[in-house]
Amino acid sequence: MKDFFKVSPLKILEGSTYQELGKGNLGVLMAWAGLGKTSCLINIAFDKLFREEKLVHISLKDVPEKVTSYYNVIFSDLVKVLNIEDEHEVRALIDKNRIILAYLKESFDLTRLRGNLNNLVKEIDFTPDTLIVDGLDFAETGRELFEGLRRIAQEFQVEVWLSALTHRHITEVNERGIPFPCNNLDDLFSLIIQLSSSPSGVLLELLKDHDRKGISDAAIRLDPNNFLAVE
Amino acid sequence: MVDDIQYLRNIGISAHIDAGKTTLTERILYYTKRILAVHEVKGKDGVGAKMDSMDLEKERGITISSAATYCEWNRHKINIIDTPGHVDFTIEVERALRVLDSSILVLCAVGGVQSQSITVDRQMNRYKVPRVAFINKCDRAGADPYRVVGQLRERLNHNAVLMQIPIGLEGDFSGVIDLVSMKAIYFEGPFGEDLKEGDIPSHLLDEATLKREELLDAASMFSDALMEAILDGSVREELIHKAVRKGTISRQLTPVFIGSAYKNIGVQPVLDAVTNYLPSPPEVENSALDMDQEEKEVLLSSNPDDPLVSLAFKLEVTPYGQLTYLRIYQGSIAKGDDLINTRTRKKIKVGRLIRMHADEMEDIPRAGAGDIVALFGVDCFSGDTFADGRLNYTMTSIFVPEPVISLTVLPKDNKSNTNMAKALNRFIREDPTFQSQVDRESGQTIISGMGELHLEIYVERMKREFGAEVDTGIPQVAYREAISRRAEFNYIHKKQTGGAGQYGRVAGYMEPSGGSNYEFINQVKGGVIPTEFISAVDKGFQSCLKKGRLIGFPVIRVRIAVNDGQHHQVDSSERAFVQAAIGAFKQAYLKAKPVILEPIMRVSVECPSEFQGNVMASINQRRGLIMSSAEDGVFTTIEADVPLAEMFGYATTLRSLTQGKAEFTMEFSRYAKVPESIEEELKLTYKERARRGAA
Repeated sequence: MKDFFKVSPLKILEGSTYQELGKGNLGVLMAWAGLGKTSCLINIAFDKLFREEKLVHISLKDVPEKVTSYYNVIFSDLVKVLNIEDEHEVRALIDKNRIILAYLKESFDLTRLRGNLNNLVKEIDFTPDTLIVDGLDFAETGRELFEGLRRIAQEFQVEVWLSALTHRHITEVNERGIPFPCNNLDDLFSLIIQLSSSPSGVLLELLKDHDRKGISDAAIRLDPNNFLAVE
Repeated sequence: MVDDIQYLRNIGISAHIDAGKTTLTERILYYTKRILAVHEVKGKDGVGAKMDSMDLEKERGITISSAATYCEWNRHKINIIDTPGHVDFTIEVERALRVLDSSILVLCAVGGVQSQSITVDRQMNRYKVPRVAFINKCDRAGADPYRVVGQLRERLNHNAVLMQIPIGLEGDFSGVIDLVSMKAIYFEGPFGEDLKEGDIPSHLLDEATLKREELLDAASMFSDALMEAILDGSVREELIHKAVRKGTISRQLTPVFIGSAYKNIGVQPVLDAVTNYLPSPPEVENSALDMDQEEKEVLLSSNPDDPLVSLAFKLEVTPYGQLTYLRIYQGSIAKGDDLINTRTRKKIKVGRLIRMHADEMEDIPRAGAGDIVALFGVDCFSGDTFADGRLNYTMTSIFVPEPVISLTVLPKDNKSNTNMAKALNRFIREDPTFQSQVDRESGQTIISGMGELHLEIYVERMKREFGAEVDTGIPQVAYREAISRRAEFNYIHKKQTGGAGQYGRVAGYMEPSGGSNYEFINQVKGGVIPTEFISAVDKGFQSCLKKGRLIGFPVIRVRIAVNDGQHHQVDSSERAFVQAAIGAFKQAYLKAKPVILEPIMRVSVECPSEFQGNVMASINQRRGLIMSSAEDGVFTTIEADVPLAEMFGYATTLRSLTQGKAEFTMEFSRYAKVPESIEEELKLTYKERARRGAA
């Protein structure tokens, strides 16, 4: 899957401090509604899966069937774009290394998540390397939940990627250049990346890189059809 | 014959087991005056509900066969097929959905959308069946119809909208508020037959107003007129009905009704919904394949005057002979007509034309497009198409899943042996997912089907309906063999010593086919194998696929190409080329590194959340692969892929792990390679059996 890594959205981290999020840390992908947050997040998930890492996809809005269909559609595109020949083997690898946890109708809380992760580790020997959390409403979620997520990241030694919805009409930005809704939470996140649209396509920008100060214009262009980096 | 097809409805009633669909059907038959008294499924009165006509169904309280029945409501004629709730009888559900135009999805107000509901809903989507939902058992402790509506939206992805709200719940459930008329409805009389309308109780007025707004919002998406009327403040009931009907038929809206069939509350409004919102036959698109135009798909007309196209969707044995249920798609059938079975081209005469009412029947002279009728004494298989000779159409085949489990059956005496043969002959005609064969080596009869319960029921039926007492073996998994790489062959079959000689050479290759079970490619050039012998070569290869050389199970997913060969002017024959192909197959098969495949089932377990860990562990111990776990309130649904071989006895394990609070369903997902340790074990067992057989 070397071809994928050349176009993975995580290429954005090539020039970053550690070239990765790192275990025990939280990272956020921010974007406006409809810009392709979920697709981009799933490409991040594929980056992990293709490295044969174990991944838990946590959905707070969609049933597992729907999440699976997102993965299937994006994977089918990857098969075409990257000309993947051993499609069945790769699919089997994805199924083996990914578990979807869905929390429907406000069933999500940290105790439940911790219990579920413990069950995965203890009962079926599935020790995740990465958690992908999609559908968490940052504007309605208190700081303590993110602090709790960070404790879980450290406890289970996983890296946690979240998606956050930004709004066109809320222009608040903190002094470090981090926009709403992460402007009051950025101390909890090790990496913050943002999708935005530009005349030349979709841009992925690095807004926070661990403790590094004064990030230069680190950005890559993504193909709006598949959210893969344009070389 | 139905006078006006616009007033005809063909509906199914589908749901999770124990959601109460048979009770609902029984009440429908009572209110439509098809029966004079009501009985329960597990009837204390010993009569049992009308739709469960088989003794076994009455005893177990579950519906096994889809008995068809007919009733009338508000000038509409309604054909109802009651469908089984257990997933092992999925073919019955699939068949019903194939011939029906719409359905009532029954859900339990306490249990909500359970794993079986998800399976049934998936099947309904496959056949594009519009539905209305009925949330039953609102009188039970823990009933929460609002939660169920939420589940319909979130778990089944329905645009579900409440048409009513309950007046009281659990023990206080006494009626419903109709959000279209904004009236309270109470169901009075000994069996709720007298509907009394009244004002909305004041404490429910705000809620009713809010829910009506939600209804109007949802319905207005399907009607500009309704949207305008909402803005003008001039909404009429008729506008709402029209909009809801449009949304329902396009499967973009699911109107939800609530009640308790057992307590006789809320059933009549569901009947109104069937006539108001569900489609008549011409409003549903049905197609057939034109055999004269290379199976080109053609739309059917629903016109009773057009040439006949009808589908035999169910066979049933009755004390008077075989009964064949037909759905007429276009044209009409009258007593005395000649019909052609398009598969066999055999002609049959319509002796009696019957309209079924559970296990009673009514003779009718004629039936037309859209109708569901039954014929006596027709020799056919389930899924056959009948026409009148003017068209050579066949209905698209019903999706038939492959059997995944088999069982040896051994008759206890001679009489049982004869009766078992009769029973098996009947069952394979009735149910395409049930198969029977005699193992050539052991001489034992082997039956195959979709699950343990599926086969168990047939064994019981053999005993009860045919008097065949049988012993059964341990269930066996239907393994398959498949090659994993390309291998070449070049084989000469030569026998030229004494008598008529035999000569044939076959060369080419075999390789994994990916999708199809068997592909034969003829690449022979220059007539090195004469055209008349090519089919013999194909036949020879096919004969090898029935029994693989690893463990004796069928070989699938193989493509065989023949590109060279040789013949002899005198000694080559069909027989010689069949043998040459068999030899070629044997030569290449092991070189092509065959592997053993096993059926993998998609298992869905629903349990209280505190048991998630235990359930996951139990799946893991069975070589299962957990795909997902969804939390919804206090329940968790775990989906996993598990080899069928590991699922025997799982119901018992699950019960003890979860204090009987979990349930599971499974359906065939795919075939996958078995792990090497198990492959070795299977090979050893096969060798041992072959050795014992040879000894």
